[in-house]
Amino acid sequence: MKQIVQRLLQAVLVLFGVALLLFIMVRVIPGNPVAMMMGDHADPAAIERISHELGLDRPIHEQFFIYLRNVLRLDFGTSITLGRPVADLMTAAFPNTLKLAVCAAVFAWVTGIFCGIISAAYSNSFIDHLFMGISLLGLSMPVFLIAMVLQYVFAYHLHILPISGTDSWKSFILPAIALGWNCAGSVARLMRSSLLEVMEEDYIDTAYAKGRSHAGVLIFHALRNAFLPVVTMMAVQFSALISGAVITETVFSINGIGRLAAAAINGRDIPLLQGTVLFSTLAAVLGNLLADWLYLLLDPRITEAI
Amino acid sequence: MKKKMITVLAAVLLAGCGGKKEQGTSAAQSSVESGLLRGAVLCDITTMDVAETTDDYLIPMNIFERLFETRPDGEESKIENSLCKSYTVSEDGKTYDFEILGDVVFSNGNPLTASDVKYSFERLLTKGRQNTDIPLEVVGGEDLMNGKAESLAGFEVKDDTHFSVTLTAPNAGFIAELSSPCMSIVDEESTKNAGGFGKNPAEMIGSGPYTVKEWVSNDHYTLEYNPRYHGAEPSVKKVIMKVIPDAGTMNLMFQNGEIDLIDLGSLDSAVVESAYRTAWKDHIVSRPKVGLYFLAFNENNSYFKDVKVRQAIARAINVDDMITGIYNGDAKRENGIIPSGVLGYNKDLEPFAYDPSAAKKMLEEAGYKDGEIQFEFSMDSTMSSSQQLIYQSIARDLAAVGIKADIQTYDHTTWIDRRLGGKTDCYVGKWIMDYNDPANIMITFFGGESKANSRALNYPNIEIMDRVAKAPAILDEGQRIAEYQALEKQIVKEDAAWVPLVSELHLYCFGNRVKSFTPQWAGFGDFYVTDVVLG
Amino acid sequence: MKSTRALSRANRENTVRSVLTRLFRENRMAAVSFAVIILFILAAIFAPLLTPYSWEEMELIHRLNPPSAAHLFGTDEAGRDIFTRMLYGSRVSLLVGILPSMVSLAIGSLLGVTAGYYGGWLDAVIMRLADIVLAFPSMLLAMVLMYMLGGGLFNVFLTLSLVNWASAARIIRAETLQLKEREFVESARAIGVKSPKIIFRHILPNCVPTIIVLFTLNIPDSILTESSLSFLGLGVQPPAASWGLMVNAGRQFFYTSPWLCLFPGMAVMIIVLAFHFLGDGLRDILDPRRRKQ
Repeated sequence: MKQIVQRLLQAVLVLFGVALLLFIMVRVIPGNPVAMMMGDHADPAAIERISHELGLDRPIHEQFFIYLRNVLRLDFGTSITLGRPVADLMTAAFPNTLKLAVCAAVFAWVTGIFCGIISAAYSNSFIDHLFMGISLLGLSMPVFLIAMVLQYVFAYHLHILPISGTDSWKSFILPAIALGWNCAGSVARLMRSSLLEVMEEDYIDTAYAKGRSHAGVLIFHALRNAFLPVVTMMAVQFSALISGAVITETVFSINGIGRLAAAAINGRDIPLLQGTVLFSTLAAVLGNLLADWLYLLLDPRITEAI
Repeated sequence: MKKKMITVLAAVLLAGCGGKKEQGTSAAQSSVESGLLRGAVLCDITTMDVAETTDDYLIPMNIFERLFETRPDGEESKIENSLCKSYTVSEDGKTYDFEILGDVVFSNGNPLTASDVKYSFERLLTKGRQNTDIPLEVVGGEDLMNGKAESLAGFEVKDDTHFSVTLTAPNAGFIAELSSPCMSIVDEESTKNAGGFGKNPAEMIGSGPYTVKEWVSNDHYTLEYNPRYHGAEPSVKKVIMKVIPDAGTMNLMFQNGEIDLIDLGSLDSAVVESAYRTAWKDHIVSRPKVGLYFLAFNENNSYFKDVKVRQAIARAINVDDMITGIYNGDAKRENGIIPSGVLGYNKDLEPFAYDPSAAKKMLEEAGYKDGEIQFEFSMDSTMSSSQQLIYQSIARDLAAVGIKADIQTYDHTTWIDRRLGGKTDCYVGKWIMDYNDPANIMITFFGGESKANSRALNYPNIEIMDRVAKAPAILDEGQRIAEYQALEKQIVKEDAAWVPLVSELHLYCFGNRVKSFTPQWAGFGDFYVTDVVLG
Repeated sequence: MKSTRALSRANRENTVRSVLTRLFRENRMAAVSFAVIILFILAAIFAPLLTPYSWEEMELIHRLNPPSAAHLFGTDEAGRDIFTRMLYGSRVSLLVGILPSMVSLAIGSLLGVTAGYYGGWLDAVIMRLADIVLAFPSMLLAMVLMYMLGGGLFNVFLTLSLVNWASAARIIRAETLQLKEREFVESARAIGVKSPKIIFRHILPNCVPTIIVLFTLNIPDSILTESSLSFLGLGVQPPAASWGLMVNAGRQFFYTSPWLCLFPGMAVMIIVLAFHFLGDGLRDILDPRRRKQ
């Protein structure tokens, strides 16, 4: 319990640092951001008026504290390009991102663990090579390339799934695979090597000596211990999934946080960029906390088992 | 293992590329409700309020009406009466008397009267950030905008259907300006009390053929037929525009029958060539984009100061090659400042003929050695792929006459900063007309020293720029156009301060559910939905 | 003095030659990967000798030609030879992989060693900074940095360096904490050797195996991040070429002229895998925990 409170306090401190660093990075840009965003046909008087409305003419530290105060009130400002409160946009987009991330994580972890176990059980067989080959594909291809191949084959050519959108559960299948493939690959490889490593430990020999079958040893003795590094990796992957969502959501036209971030970059939309990055980082930090907590729950049992 | 992987990838790709898909066999298509038009845009609109935007015109064009509308007329355009029934102009060209239609109601049932028109004019000056220049021409506009007056003095409402407008100076292009989407007429009563006009679909009350049903930001918006519309009932009863930020995805969606209309300008021209040109031949419609690409010189640069260098460059650029190479013929050569399709376009203006050897000779005669002239050719990283190809094409042409154009890419912010700071040597720019009058482009670029300098031209001919600034006051249409054309010729031919390049064609392709489509005359891609006829 | 040095050196038994010999003997995949990487580097260096074409010259009449004898990998949307652009692009892509990894490892190692060795407030400040950087999903941090710095090759280097240093710092710090307790460090300290000297003579050299492994595994990440940045229009700017940028530029043509994407995409995959295997192989040899097996 004490450990969890300590972690929580640490996370709050980190988030404050994140907000500060983000603010510094975004405001350091030369030139008037309003002039940039309003483009060639804009009137200088209007630029000045909007700069004033956004508070860009105040001293920088004042701007930061105003920003921080507003963020704590869940007010992230108004998006310049989309013309709406950033908080509203993110509220609308978050469910889609959450759905996508959960689908991708479930896909990645279930298939990753499954393939890892099979590969380890039949190591150096054809099926092992096949699974490891597929997992390497996920590790080495840029996310957008995977996404395009999937779109082309399953949506355009075979007509099984929609090309884009969020209209039905079917729409999430391809994006989840595209986003999760990379993580699935790492999980499968780690699961396999971790399991193979554990299988060499002495207590496994003991289990065999007791007359357990190969599958029995694998499932009842090796698996539990092999899981620990995989769980650690899964925590790290949460952040990677959020990173990948920027691209997956753009390719599949899913109205999520990542796509908002991409739109903010394209439109040089500072409030939207700050809001989405801050929010994504918050999600990643929370994900890590959750994983830490899970780890604490898992750990004693595993030490006991050994 | 690697080999195996590559085989897997190749197999997947081959499976994909193997068969050619037949058009319109998609299951998605048969289940589409009748009367529905599905479109897509690369990025979402900011607002539905013309007081806040100069770009997002699709919704205002279709839910509001204006006194006049610009309509396509072959390759050209004409101004048609819309809400205006008739008008007269006073002798001095300053006062316009209008009569509007009497039987028009807004989508909430309120009648449309002259005071709604007045309110719409005033609103642009008091509420908005954009599009203030047209109502500013009316007497008292300045005072209203600065808060010195309560209402627009030059706008006199006589009765429900009659009013007059007095301008501070005569402007022959005034009627054309009134057809711009920004001069949309809104309902005074509901708009005054609106809390989120421009953002809240329920508050967007207009007299046009459609109303806004919903707008989910960054996702889609929906228009529906307005049963109170006074005109003929359109073929399209409902429109869903989706935001699809990835052009490749948009292309697939169209090919798959998931959208009915695509602006081919969203795609690369080579994609259009390979995936549309033959497969969708009878479904492609086009309209000239009223605007053009040009090469601008910074005349503070030591080489570009010399008119001989500028003229030689104008001769060294192979524009026709750009048109076939970059645009596959879907572009038009431009020879002046006023682009084709715009009032005052001079079709008789002769371009500098492409002649690299003559250009080389000119440079030699002017005393420049081969390879002596070097300059930084600055590009904005956000420029379209065709614009970037224009840069590369020009750099290649100039290399052939011994001029080294060093292409440097800057991000948008830096690029604008450099241009405004006069640090840009030379660039390829693009201008899209805001309305159909030559003043729009002539004044923006050559209307005075500060205007020319902020475009990084540093054009030194003050006398010419004075004449450009004064031209709108010439009342006689013929004389005014003649003056513009004379100035244009001086700038482009004698001074060679600006090398006109090409104007693009705006291409659209419609799917199998659409029978016909007429794109709007405009620089922007927005159109009247009533011009779409479903099959 | 002499004895502590010998001890320290004995601790790092791996010379370059011995590592390479073992790599080739024990891990065929890593050896092949190493050869592939050398091949790619040679191709990047001798690019002009390997192709008759220029990487930027457009031939608009030859747009989107499929692979043929004249154009091995076909031509792109501007009629440029894809093979040529890939050769020149490999310069950018390899540099994008290697240079930022070097810089971020240098920053990360120095900060990690400093934090681990001195401890106290210095440790706290450095590690909290690392925590903050690591809290960002890396892609989003890279996006914000590119937004702040603007596009261009140099800024891509800078961004990738700034994104990746923190995890290296953490690992090196942990390793330093362990090394600090070792006898050769303790005895060096006992005879009064100054701290910077201990760091550079005894601790850092012993971190080298870890640094090499981290460095090798960092490269594929950098290459993939660069391609993602290109996807968002934030990476290397045209007409310059990197493989990531080429894949992206070819995306629209994927359905009609797949070679635009396919070849650069495969190059990305091969180089990413090669560094991946090499890193794995090196770790197997250099990591003492694994070596015992």
